[in-house]
Amino acid sequence: MKNNTAEPPGTMIEMIKVSKLYPPDVVALKDVSISVAVGEMFFIIGMSGAGKTTLLKLISSMEPPTNGLIEISGNPIHQLKGYKLARLRQKIGVAYQDFKLLADRTTAENIAISMEVSYKKPSIIRRRVKDLLAQLNLTDKHNTITGELSRGEQQRVTLARAIANSPTMILVDEPTGNLDATTTEKVMQLLTKCNKSGATIVIATHDDSIYRHTPHRIMELRAGRTYSIVGGNGT
Amino acid sequence: MSFWVTVIRQVGRNLRQTWGSQLMTLLTVSLSVLIFAFFYLIYTNMLSLGDKLGDDLTLIVYLEEEPGPELQQQLIKKITTFDEVEDIRFVSSAMAYERFAGQLGQNEDVLDDMPKDFLPPSIEVIPFKNLRSLNQVKLFSAYLAKLPGTLKVQYGQEWVERFYYFTKLLSIVVLLSGTLLILTTIFMVAYTIRLTILGRQAELELLKLVGATNNYIRIPFLLEGLLQGILGSSIGIAALYTLFHWIRIRFSGPGLLNLFEFSFFPPVVTITIIGVSILLCTLGSYSTMHKFLRI
Ligand SMILES: Nc1ncnc2c1ncn2[C@@H]1O[C@H](COP(=O)(O)OP(=O)(O)OP(=O)(O)O)[C@@H](O)[C@H]1O
Ligand SMILES: [Mg+2]
Repeated sequence: MKNNTAEPPGTMIEMIKVSKLYPPDVVALKDVSISVAVGEMFFIIGMSGAGKTTLLKLISSMEPPTNGLIEISGNPIHQLKGYKLARLRQKIGVAYQDFKLLADRTTAENIAISMEVSYKKPSIIRRRVKDLLAQLNLTDKHNTITGELSRGEQQRVTLARAIANSPTMILVDEPTGNLDATTTEKVMQLLTKCNKSGATIVIATHDDSIYRHTPHRIMELRAGRTYSIVGGNGT
Repeated sequence: MSFWVTVIRQVGRNLRQTWGSQLMTLLTVSLSVLIFAFFYLIYTNMLSLGDKLGDDLTLIVYLEEEPGPELQQQLIKKITTFDEVEDIRFVSSAMAYERFAGQLGQNEDVLDDMPKDFLPPSIEVIPFKNLRSLNQVKLFSAYLAKLPGTLKVQYGQEWVERFYYFTKLLSIVVLLSGTLLILTTIFMVAYTIRLTILGRQAELELLKLVGATNNYIRIPFLLEGLLQGILGSSIGIAALYTLFHWIRIRFSGPGLLNLFEFSFFPPVVTITIIGVSILLCTLGSYSTMHKFLRI
C-alpha cells in the first residue's frame, strides 16, 4: 500500500472508550478506543468471544454502545435516525459472520438488495452483479437459491452484497472461515482492490494466513479489551 | 425511474407472497363496497321518489259549509299564519261534483240521482317543499283540523307515514353498512399487510441494515393498500352496476318498478365512493406500518 497523499486523510472511524455490556453481566467490549483513517485497511483479531463481531456491530450501528463515543466520518452514528441513518448505512457495506442472506432468493437477488435500496438502475445492478460473481468464482450460481449454496459460497455472496454498492467503508466479519487457500486469496484480492479504490476496510478474523504478512495495522482484542495494536506505518 | 421499478417489483413480490390473503381482502373490500353502495343506491332513489311523490302532496280540508268570500279571506289568513304555503285553492261543492263527474267519464250517469251538492266543499292546501317532512305535515294537518267549520283533513297519511319510516330505516341501514365498509376495509387491509410484514421480518430487518430508507420500505405497502382500494371499490361498484342493469332489464315493461325511474349514481357519487375506499385502504396500510415498520 502506498500512502502518497499530501495531506493526512480524514478519520473514518473514531471510537473513544467504547464499552458494550450485554445483560445481565457479559462484558463484550471494555474501553476500546481506535481511530481508523479514511482509506485504511484495518484488522481486528482475537480469540473466539473476544468481541470482534460486537465491535463491528457497534461500528455499523446494529447495536448501540453502552458507553463511549463512536463517530463515522464525523457523525455520531448512534444519534442518527431515519433518513440520515439510512443514507449512512448505504455507505457502509457489511459482510456478516452469520451471512444474513435471504435463503429463498437467488444469489443475484441477494447481491442486488444493497444496490436497490439506493435506487440504482436495474441495468447497472445486473452488470455489477455479474462482474462480482465472476470475481468470486460464482458465475454459475447466478440463479441459485442461496439456501442451496455451500457455506463457503454463501460467505462469498455475503461479501459480494457488502461491496456491491461501492460503499466508502466495508466491514467484513470472518470473510475466509470456510474457504480454501485459493479462494481465500481471491477474496483478499477483491478486498484489496476495493481498498485501492478508496474504501476503508475493517476485517475481523482469526485466520492468520490473511494478516500474517500484511503491512496494515492489526488490533488484537482479548476479553473485550484492546490487547495490542501493531503494524502500519505510524499514521 | 429506477425508484418506481424497484417499488413496483417490491409490490409484485408482496402480492405473490401473500396472494391468498390478498385475494380475501380484495373480496372483502369489494363486498363491503357492494353492500354499502347497494343500500345507498336504494336510499337515494327512495329520496328522489319521495321528492316526486311529495310534489303531489296536497292537504285537503273538508268544510261543513260553503265559505263566503269574507270567510275565505279569513281562512287564508289563518292558514298562512301557520306557515307560508305554495297555493290555497277553494273547491266548492259544485266544482267537486264536476270534477268527480269528469273522473267518471262515461259512467257519469250514476250521478244522475245525486244532488249537485252531495260532496262537501273543501280547501286544497299545497305546502311548500320544506314543509313536507312527515312531522311538519302532521302538525300542519292538526292545525288545519282545528280551523272553524272543518270536517276533516286528508293527505294520504298512510303512505306518507310508511314512506317516511321506510326511508328512516334505510338511512340507518346505509349508516350501518357504511360503518361496516370503513371497518372492514381498514382492518382487513391492515391485517393482510401485517401478515406480509410478519412473513418477511428477516428481509425487512436486512433492508434496514443495508440502508433502506423508511420510504423505501413503506411505499410498497402503501401502494398495496392503494391497489386494494382501487380494485376492491371498482369491482364492488361494477358488480352493483351489473346487478342494477340486470334488474332493469328483467323488470322493464309495465310493472311496479316502472312506476318511477330507478337510476344509478351520477359519476360524482361513484368517484367519491371509489375515492373514499382508496383512502380507507391506504389509511389501513398506513396505520399498520406505523406500528410495525420504523427505523
Ligand atoms: N446478543 C448477545 N447477548 C449476550 N451476549 C452476547 C451477545 N452477543 C455477543 N455476546 C457475548 O459477547 C462476547 C463477544 O462476542 P463476539 O460475538 O463479539 O465475539 P467474537 O470475537 O466475534 O467471536 P467469534 O470469533 O467466535 O466470532 C461473547 O462472550 C458473547 O457470548
Ligand atoms: Mg464473531
